[in-house]
Amino acid sequence: MTTAQASTLAELTEMINAVLGDFATDQPVTMDTTFRDDLGMESIDVVSLAGRLQARYGDTVNFAHFVAQLDLETVGELRVGQLVEHIDTSLAAAGAGDR
Amino acid sequence: MTTVRANGITLHVQRLDPVAPALPGGGPPPTVVLIHGMASDTMASWYFTMAEPLARAGLPTVLYDLRGHGRSERPATGYALDDLVDDLAALLAELAVTGPLLLFGNSFGGTVAFGYAARHPERVAGIVAVESSPPTPEWMRRVRTRLHRVAERLPRAGAVAEIGARRGPVAARRAADTGRMLADTTILAELPASRLPSAERLAAIRCPVLCLYGGESAVADLAPTVPGLLPQARVVVLPGEKHSVLIDRPETVRRHVFAWLTERCGLAVAHPAAP
Repeated sequence: MTTAQASTLAELTEMINAVLGDFATDQPVTMDTTFRDDLGMESIDVVSLAGRLQARYGDTVNFAHFVAQLDLETVGELRVGQLVEHIDTSLAAAGAGDR
Repeated sequence: MTTVRANGITLHVQRLDPVAPALPGGGPPPTVVLIHGMASDTMASWYFTMAEPLARAGLPTVLYDLRGHGRSERPATGYALDDLVDDLAALLAELAVTGPLLLFGNSFGGTVAFGYAARHPERVAGIVAVESSPPTPEWMRRVRTRLHRVAERLPRAGAVAEIGARRGPVAARRAADTGRMLADTTILAELPASRLPSAERLAAIRCPVLCLYGGESAVADLAPTVPGLLPQARVVVLPGEKHSVLIDRPETVRRHVFAWLTERCGLAVAHPAAP
């Protein structure tokens, strides 16, 4: 994992815990953590996370477009690492890789 | 999380702005509003099926969780059709959405769309209703039966645990939340007793309408009644599909929606290929 990925993972973990509130997991969130089976996130929790990503990264990270490639079944199988990679790729493409 | 204060409550909202250039032909495109169903549904059903393809085709798209649902506030009362229509009208005012609307509703969300159109016909440029019906006495009888069946089943000992064993802990958490909503609010009494628009008000809805049904769903019984209520409606029954057709067959639903937008609404939207 690169330094950029580690820092994105840390930010994403904070957002995930904020979305889950009382249901936040005690387990450490890693690149291999899955949203549904490991974190117990419902589809509406994932939408709520999308709102936080939008607030944090603006239009640079198009989460809606990213998840449109999935359906409601496979979105549950999504791994945190896939989202971290999408965020970092989007930021790098927008020239924000030096944060 | 994006929330908006409207009609005295806090509603969870998501907006997807078009990434494509404006539609050819000039003029502002209509805004799509996606309305989910009652009791265990949320905006996620639309978010993961329809929202992004519509935005990508050039249509600004708004999603929200109905009161009591998802991450919107759950007041104890205010669950009649008029309240849900008032919420939508207030939300659009708060969001400064003033142009024409394309209302999409899944299950009872479609009824909210028709309810809004009956009160604000001049605002609505088109309605897509998936597994739904305009607000008629027969449909509201069915809604009452369905809500009461869920309300009786969920509090039974072991009911939520059984859902968990069959469909996993996430489904169990959602079922428990649905049970709390039915117990903690007046929805069971208020919604089926809603004041309904008159037949004249419904007949005054002249915009294009698309009604989609799953052939195996009990709601499809109502498909033959739609032309009598709304002669302009395109009615499509998808053989072998259930009430959950939006979730089960999103690509089929998208295909019918984009064909209807082009052919009946005169919108030059291309069905975006899967990304």
